[in-house]
Amino acid sequence: MKQQTIESISVGDQLPVLHKSADEAQLFLYSAASFNPHRIHYDRAYAEFEGHTDIIVHGPLQGSWLTQFVTDWAGPASRLLNITWQNRASAIVGENLEFHGSVTEINETERTALLSLEERNENGAILMPATALIKLPSENKVQ
Amino acid sequence: MSTSLIPPESLARIGEILYGPITVTINEREAQRYALAVGDENPIYFDESAAKAAGYKTMTVPPTFVTHAMVIPKPLSTLRTDGLYRDGTGVRLEVARMMFGGEEWDFLEPVYIGDQITATARLAALDQKSGSKGPFVRQVRETTFVNQEMTTVARSRQIGIAR
Repeated sequence: MKQQTIESISVGDQLPVLHKSADEAQLFLYSAASFNPHRIHYDRAYAEFEGHTDIIVHGPLQGSWLTQFVTDWAGPASRLLNITWQNRASAIVGENLEFHGSVTEINETERTALLSLEERNENGAILMPATALIKLPSENKVQ
Repeated sequence: MSTSLIPPESLARIGEILYGPITVTINEREAQRYALAVGDENPIYFDESAAKAAGYKTMTVPPTFVTHAMVIPKPLSTLRTDGLYRDGTGVRLEVARMMFGGEEWDFLEPVYIGDQITATARLAALDQKSGSKGPFVRQVRETTFVNQEMTTVARSRQIGIAR
């Protein structure tokens, strides 16, 4: 995996877009792995009864996609310090989702970078705006 | 001034413990099942040498996994028709439904396979606000995660929006 350093990044850098789309099997596995029995995540008829268009993607799964988006870009020797997201709209099974992000602030003394992130659906609507704070290694110091 | 959506007995619960303290050992299989269900195959979750090369003591876990590791298994007889558990710990509000508003996480120290993590959740805030669609309540549930060395490893704030 690629490793970013505090020297390798600049304000305005874009993270490579992460594409995600969860099918029924993945949502089932996520319900199982998180011991979440809520029917809106696997029972289509029940999800429709609650007014949803289809089976709903778990909010915390999208949260974990956000952390993966950041840690895949930052590299294994970086440390995620904070992630903050808002649930603005739901995602449904099979929907093509994209994660976009950029570097908005760099603190060279603390070796931290603030990122602005968005999860968007295929219509470009923002489902989850987010921010992340990450600590990066330095090329000039032994970690 | 609109009528209060927050009954006085619920306001009085601000600061109250909603969950825990409960201690759970972080299990390698459960953490890896979680990572694979997310589709996150980062080697620091699966390969001890990769984790050590990245500066970790041993294998770590996906950042927010710690909250899922804490889920208390309950009997099927306690499931409601929507599949959720009747746990009786909900804060009573004069609203139709509670929606997830978002989450804020501070990760202070790594969580490792084999750690014993103690979680305690409190009702951190309950505020009535007015929005374009009428009044709503913002509920904040703050959970602190402490390891076996009494180090706070993570803190989460789950925001609930009720209207």
